[in-house]
Amino acid sequence: MKYEDWNKISRIASRKSLWVLHFCTGCGAIELPPVMTSRYDMERFGMGPMATPRQADVLLITGYLTVKTLKRVVNVYEQMQSPKYVISFGSCPINGGMYWDSYNTVKRLDRYLPVDVYVGGCMPRPEGVMNAFLKLMELIDEGKARGWEKYQKYYEQYKRNQKMAFNFGGEENEGA
Amino acid sequence: MKALELIEKGEEMHGRAYIKSDRDEVSSIIKKLKENGFDHFVMLSCIDWIDENEFELVYHLWSYEYKEHVMVSVRLPRDSPSIGSMHGLFPQIETYEREVHEMYGVDFEGNSRLTPFLLDGWRDIPPMRKDFDSKKFAEDVFDNIPEIKEEEDEGI
Amino acid sequence: MVITKIAIIALYTTAAMFVGILFMGIGRKIVARVHNRVGPPVYQGFIDIAKLLTKKTNISHGWIYDLALLFSITGIILTILFLPIGGVKLLSMEGDAFLVLYLLAIPALGFALGAGASGNPNAAIGVMRALVMMLSYELPFVVTLIALMIYYDTSSIAQIVEMQRARWAIMIPPFVLAAAVADMALQGMLMEAPFDIPIAPHEIASGPMAEFGGKHLGTLMIYKAGTIVAYTTLFVDLFLGGGVVMYDGSLLAHIANFAVWFVLIFIVFTLSLLINTSFPRFRIEQAFKFYWKYEALLAFISLIWVYLVVIS
Repeated sequence: MKYEDWNKISRIASRKSLWVLHFCTGCGAIELPPVMTSRYDMERFGMGPMATPRQADVLLITGYLTVKTLKRVVNVYEQMQSPKYVISFGSCPINGGMYWDSYNTVKRLDRYLPVDVYVGGCMPRPEGVMNAFLKLMELIDEGKARGWEKYQKYYEQYKRNQKMAFNFGGEENEGA
Repeated sequence: MKALELIEKGEEMHGRAYIKSDRDEVSSIIKKLKENGFDHFVMLSCIDWIDENEFELVYHLWSYEYKEHVMVSVRLPRDSPSIGSMHGLFPQIETYEREVHEMYGVDFEGNSRLTPFLLDGWRDIPPMRKDFDSKKFAEDVFDNIPEIKEEEDEGI
Repeated sequence: MVITKIAIIALYTTAAMFVGILFMGIGRKIVARVHNRVGPPVYQGFIDIAKLLTKKTNISHGWIYDLALLFSITGIILTILFLPIGGVKLLSMEGDAFLVLYLLAIPALGFALGAGASGNPNAAIGVMRALVMMLSYELPFVVTLIALMIYYDTSSIAQIVEMQRARWAIMIPPFVLAAAVADMALQGMLMEAPFDIPIAPHEIASGPMAEFGGKHLGTLMIYKAGTIVAYTTLFVDLFLGGGVVMYDGSLLAHIANFAVWFVLIFIVFTLSLLINTSFPRFRIEQAFKFYWKYEALLAFISLIWVYLVVIS
């Protein structure tokens, strides 16, 4: 109910000019240059790449995440200013993907960061990535892309999960 | 092959020279190879022969002059694996030794930088050893992390 | 009288910012067409600023950081007010060429304060490079301005526009060289390639703007729109007659003058954009050497040429 009384102009402006911060670890980083350049041009929707998290709206997690990288990604996500959205590429953030039995990758990104749109594939082609961007714009328009509110509301649960991952399931220790 | 002419105790394996040595001689063998044209250090790899209770460390070298690849192999006992560090000869070996130390548990004397590298906060046995069950570890640690429980009235 | 003057000043500033934001969008479309792709719509600048100004959380690093942007915006608004747009003089007076030169330095002060207060090392390096860039392009620009002042025997920009009624300055031979030099200085002022090293996103995480987000970044984009209008209008006033074609002061004359002014600044802006898309970036020491060796030499040649024409 409280989201519906939001300023409609703000949502339209947010939908038509999404600025993307591509956190290029993992194998999906190679699918972004085709989307940004002349062939599958994403600038016609107003999207553009940005240099720092302070200036960006969307965080792209392009592939698998190790525990060491997850610490840095959480840091980057918390520096962004709301409203902010997360899109994750590939099947590794969905259920572990190819690294389902690895000792060092996180298996389900949803337990550590609120994700708005998942793109399946290993890696999705640029057409799939464009589809994801359009789906995110549709969700923003309907008012359903509220990951950042979820993060604020359930902050203790997210922090507890992140700490459990950083300590590999044990207690706090000096090496962490 | 030029490497086999320099060091007499090797053999040719799949087009590369393969030299078996002990932990006391390996430093002098690598030094001799480096001074005679094998000046590009490619990799340091480690194999866990769990049935024979040994680790095998393999130093890979390449020569641009003769276009030959040499593998110098050392066997270490699995209970207390330790060998002298070679980073006086090739400074980049320091990083490879850090990785082998973290993944297998081999101790390199003289390397002052054996700090945690890729696994922050690791407390189990070194993960690339064959007696480490990766699937069970992944299930115990990562599948036990609970999902985010939302209250029912939001309905996102 | 004062009230009408204030109203006209407010109208002018808003219109100038409006034109600047429109140019930012048109500029992106032109660059996209050069790259052989469809670009964003031409009103994209407005949507970007609306999105930035309606962000819900705004991270601030203290009151100096908040005030620093006011320096930049105030500086650029003052610069716009001293330049005659389409022949209409707002605050012009004798000697305002020197005043405009002085006002060109105030926005950089604002950047330096903001970058220093944010505490990011990338911002500090970016601001240092921006100040070195400003130091380097000012020398050839001032020399061409002195050449203009010697030829027209005045130090007021409005007078220079008045005296170009017969023919534009660029049609006089020594000023062709001076206009080329001033156009390169314009590239540095607008921070477009090849001189965009201070705000480059890949080199130093966009330099002084590294910590700006939300409402601060929205204000910064309005400032950037203001710089586009101010600096191209300065070039058009000095060399291209200010866009004044009819002098009788009637409404039709005003409309015609504004139309010609708009077309002229659009041409100058498009030229700088096309140079932007064709060139990579200079490093800061290469940019400095370019301005102080080659450009300064050409500027001094044009100054001596103008002097010889005047005394003969």
